Amino acid sequence: MKQSILVVTISRIMLPFVFLYGFYIILHGDLSPGGGFQGGAILSTGFLLTYFIDDERRVDLNRLLRREKLFFLAILLTGALSVITRGEPFTNFLSPEFPAETRRIFFLLLNVLISLKVALGLTAIVETFLEEGQG
Amino acid sequence: MSKRLVAILVPFGLAILFVRFAQLIPELTTPQFESAKDYIMIRGYAETGAKNLVSAIYLDYRLFDSLFEAGILLITVAGIVFMAKSDEDVI
Repeated sequence: MKQSILVVTISRIMLPFVFLYGFYIILHGDLSPGGGFQGGAILSTGFLLTYFIDDERRVDLNRLLRREKLFFLAILLTGALSVITRGEPFTNFLSPEFPAETRRIFFLLLNVLISLKVALGLTAIVETFLEEGQG
Repeated sequence: MSKRLVAILVPFGLAILFVRFAQLIPELTTPQFESAKDYIMIRGYAETGAKNLVSAIYLDYRLFDSLFEAGILLITVAGIVFMAKSDEDVI
C-alpha cells in the first residue's frame, strides 16, 4: 500500500487519544452514555490506526480468537455468579445492602470484560480483511 | 484434563445451571407501576446502583440479553474468519 507521510504523522498523534477516549468510555459506562460495546469498538479503531502507521504489522489471528473465547466465558461466569451469592440469576452479584459505590464494581468488571471481548472480536474482523486484501 | 472429561463435564454443568435457573423464575404478580419506564425511573438507581439507566438495564435487569449479544458477536467473528480463511490457517 502506498504510504502517505501526512496519514502516518496524524495517526501517530491521534493514537494515544483514541485509546484514552476508549478507556474513558468503558470506565464511565455506568455514569455516562457509553459502555462496553461502544468502548470496545473505539479500541478496535485504535488497532486500525496502527495499521495506518505500519502496514507490515501483523497479529496472530488464532491467539485473538482464543482470547476472545476466554473473555466470553469470563462474561458468562460473571453473569452467573449471582446465582451463588444472591440466589437470583443474571443480576449484580453484590446484594443491595452494599452502598452504590461498592456495587459499581460489578458494572466496572462487566464493562471491562465486554469491551475487551468486543475489541478482540472487531480486531479479528479487521485483521482478516487486511490479510485478504494483501492476497 | 482430557478432552473427553471436559465433553462430559460441560453439558452436565450446563444442565445443572439450567435446572437451577428454571427454579428461580419468579411468579407473576400484579404490576405496581403503569409502565416499565416509570418503574425504572423511580426504582432504577436504588435497585442497581448505576446512574446511567441504560447501563442499569443492559447490565442488571436484562443481563441475559447482553450475554447473548456478546455471543452473537463471537459467532459473527467466527463466521467471517471461517469464510475468509482456509482450514489450515485457523484452528
